Formats: sequence, structure tokens, C-alpha cells
Amino acid sequence: MDTATALQKAEEILQPLAQEFKHPEADRVDVILAVENLKAAVKRLVEERLGYLVAITGLDVPAKPAAEGETPQGSVDVMYHFAEGAAIITLRVNVPYDAAVVPTVCDVLPAATLYERELIEMLGVTVEGTPVTDHLILPEDWPDGVYPLRKSFTGLKPQGA
Amino acid sequence: MDAQQIGKGKFVVPIGPQHPALKEPGHFEFTVDGEIVTGASVRLGYVHRGIEKGAENRNYTQAMYLMERVCGICSHVHATAFALGTEKLAGITAPPRAQAIRSLVGELERIHSHLLWLGVAAHEGGFDTLFMYSWRDREVVMDLLEGLTGNRVNYSVNVIGGVKVDVDDAQRDAILKGVDFLEERTHHYIKIITTDETLLGRTVGVGVMTKEQAIELGAIGPTGRASGLERDVRVDAPYAGYKDFPVRLVTDEAGDLQARFVVRMKELLESYRLIREILDHLPTGDLTVRAPRRIPAGETVSRVEAPRGELFYYIKSNGTDMPERVKIRTPSLCNWASVINLAPGYKLADMPMILSGIDPCFSCNDRLIKVNDRSVSQVWTWEDLRQHGIEYYR
Repeated sequence: MDTATALQKAEEILQPLAQEFKHPEADRVDVILAVENLKAAVKRLVEERLGYLVAITGLDVPAKPAAEGETPQGSVDVMYHFAEGAAIITLRVNVPYDAAVVPTVCDVLPAATLYERELIEMLGVTVEGTPVTDHLILPEDWPDGVYPLRKSFTGLKPQGA
Repeated sequence: MDAQQIGKGKFVVPIGPQHPALKEPGHFEFTVDGEIVTGASVRLGYVHRGIEKGAENRNYTQAMYLMERVCGICSHVHATAFALGTEKLAGITAPPRAQAIRSLVGELERIHSHLLWLGVAAHEGGFDTLFMYSWRDREVVMDLLEGLTGNRVNYSVNVIGGVKVDVDDAQRDAILKGVDFLEERTHHYIKIITTDETLLGRTVGVGVMTKEQAIELGAIGPTGRASGLERDVRVDAPYAGYKDFPVRLVTDEAGDLQARFVVRMKELLESYRLIREILDHLPTGDLTVRAPRRIPAGETVSRVEAPRGELFYYIKSNGTDMPERVKIRTPSLCNWASVINLAPGYKLADMPMILSGIDPCFSCNDRLIKVNDRSVSQVWTWEDLRQHGIEYYR
């Protein structure tokens, strides 16, 4: 399957679920999804055997200085990159800090467990239903609620200080 | 995946974090029933260094040096992936000669990595003679890399917008001569891994992964290709010099440990062919194009084929001279799932071989530094570390 066909096919099968399609580069399509449609979209791609999950990227989007009368709310972008040949299909959801929850995709793609564990500890996104939530890369005594890949994280205070 | 949950009354064998199979840290728990493994779990992170976070406070040039240090074995592919991604964001393309040299060094690196693996895997199988020979031969390619770049590891070939090393006639001849020698040796190794009774006993039918399993577990690189999975970024989405110098895909259908040996050795032969091809038709011209210091806002993905499989970079720029976010997904991480799921049913004694069969690279997965200082564990900041380094080497 060539790149254009793969991207087109992805748009066709994800049309009913997507909010918006973006084409940032010739070999990429970004599919903006509501969180509730994420799992259905992943299932569709797996059923159609379109691409394989390359990685799950978490991106911290810190709160912008708020306009008057608004409370600033940061959020996290979660991206699921699927590759088919040279084509990259990225499923994107955005979850606010106070409801940073995405459903697990491990029941459809068992290999996603390591990526989901990384997402949980590094960015503080709760992955509902994921089989293992233990630390994968951070130490056992790492403090709760500290997420290193959030922009607000600038280092831990040395113990005893 | 948690070994503890598998069943009470069975024995849990903890392996690691000190050198479980390679001389690198990873912790595994195998549940065993007699000699047979019934469950496995993995814990990584012992050498996590916070490189993704570190990149957010450095400019692109500094970040490139950091990326090159994600892994000491396949440093060049990391820098290549980062440079290609950054160049895409900046809207520039490195000149053809630079792209060819990136691929040339990439293939030399693959040779060194695969030969290193052959030695480690042979050692885990108790075949130390093969280990010694393959590491002796690996010195040939290490010398070539040193001659070309000045370094045995962390070659520092890439800059944003091109490369900083050129190949002159003397280097060209040295590489061709080295490759001829290595090709002859590789044929010898292929003969050994396919005929030696002892090695066959330890590899044939061990750790079998079908193509279906490989797809489901997300296996990539030579591990996946040994199960018939036709995936290679150099072929699927050619980058750098691979557009002009196409790669022939090497796969095997058997899916066992032996197939992983065979695939890697055949990939060596393909690398030799490619190196000759590149050196025979090396484009002329400049080595670099000018790259802006501030990279326009945007995001991109960059994929390259590391010796262990597909390496994935996601880079987001914000219009300044420092990246907003760099996400690295290294090939070893994907292949762990295959070990954990394939281990049950095999003997405990096969575990080191199955572990090393994916060619695991721990520094790839783990990228925080934690130092035990007078039994008080503390987390060091970058500045502390820098100061420590200065004091230490004073």
C-alpha cells in the first residue's frame, strides 16, 4: 500500500469517529478524536490491519496565562502513532489536568502496556483498565503526584533539605 | 505480567538488576515450575537519565549531542533521526553527499552492533570461542569508524544540515579492505551458526515467535524479521542516503533463536554490499547547508532503522532555539513484550539466550540519575552533576 492510499484509507475508516483531520506533512494524517471515541478508533485500525502502533507520545500543554474571569487549565495531548509503510496515522486526544484519563488500548493491542505505563508515570495521565500500573522507569520511592515530563517539573528537592 | 500473581506454591526466581544476560541492569522475575518458566515480568529504569526532559532545556545543537548519548552502541542513528527531524522542521535538506555519508556510517554502526551482539549471544550460549572471535573481528569495523570520525563510539558525524566528516580516497580504500575481510568472516560465522551441533541445540526451536505473535506483540527489527515480519524503515520509508541506495529486506520464516542469528548475519552481508555501493557512487558536493538557529514552530516525526529495529522520534518545536518536546521510542522497548510473552514454556536455562535474542539495549529504554551517597539516596540536579564531574576529574 502506498503512502497516499494508506492515509486515504485511514480517513475513510475513521470518518464516523473523528472530529477533524489534519495533514501536517505529506506522509502524515492527524486524527483529532474525543476521548470516548479513542478506543473505537484504535479497534477500527486494528480490525482493518492498517498500520501498527509505533509509540504513544504524551505532550504537556501547560496553562496559558488566563484571560480575566477564566481559570487557567493545563492539559495533556496523548498521541497514538500508527505506521503503515511510510504513512503515519496519529490519533490525538486532549485531556485536561483535572480529568486526565484515557481508556487503555491493551485489550486490543497488548503491546501497548509499556507505553501506557510510561504515560502514567511521566505525565500523570490515568490509563483506565491498563493491566499493570507499577513504575516502569521511575524509582520505587518516587513521590506521588510528581510527573517529570510536565513542564512544571524542574527537579526534586534533595531529601532532608 | 506480574510474576507474583501467576500462582502461589510456585517458585519466583529474581534475576538482576545486575547483569541478567548482558552486563547491563534490568530486573526480571521468572515464575518457575521445576525447570520450566511459567511467567515473567520486567522492571526497567535502572539507568534512566531523563534525556527527553533534558532536551527541553538545550538548544538543537546541544540536544543533538545529548541524543547521541542515548545509546553507546547505536549513537549515530539517534543523531541521524534527530537531525532529519529538525531539518524537516527547519525546511532544509542536507546535501546528497551528506545523506550518503549518514547511511555509510549507519551501516558501519550496524556491522559493529551486530558483531557485538553475536559475541554476547554466543557467550550466553556458553560458546566463548565464538564470542572472542566475533569481538576480535569487530575491532576491524571499530578501527574503520575511528579512522573516519575520530571516535570509536559517539561518532558525532551529524550536524543539523549535514555531516562534519568526509571520506577521502585513503579512508575509502581502508573501508573497502576492512569490509572484504569482514565479509569472509561473516560467511564463516553463518556456517558455524547453521552447523555447529552445540549452538544448534541451544537455538533451534527455542523462543519461537510466529508472524501473528510478532504482529500482536509489536516486535520490530531483526527480532520481528526473523519471524517473517517484513518491516524495515530503510525499505518502507527510505531516509538519508537509502533513497539512492536501496536496501534489500532480509527475513526468515522460522521465528526461533536460530532465525534471529541468521537474519542478523545476513543483514551484515547486505550492509557490506551497501557500503561498497555507497563508496562506488558517492555523490560529490557540499557536506552541509546552513541551518537556522531558531527552528520554526511545528511538529514532526522522524523514523530510522537502528540495528535493533525501528527508532521513532517525535519532535515539537515552538519557534525558539530549544525543542518544546522530544519523544524517543527506542526499538528495545518494543521487543520486551516479546520476551515476556515468549518465555513461558521454556527452561530457565534458556532465559539468558531468549533475553539476548532480542539484542536488548538498556540505555535505550532508560533514559534520572540516582546516586547512593553514604547510604542516603538523593536525586541530583543537572548543576549538581556538573559540579560533581568537575570536582571528580580535578
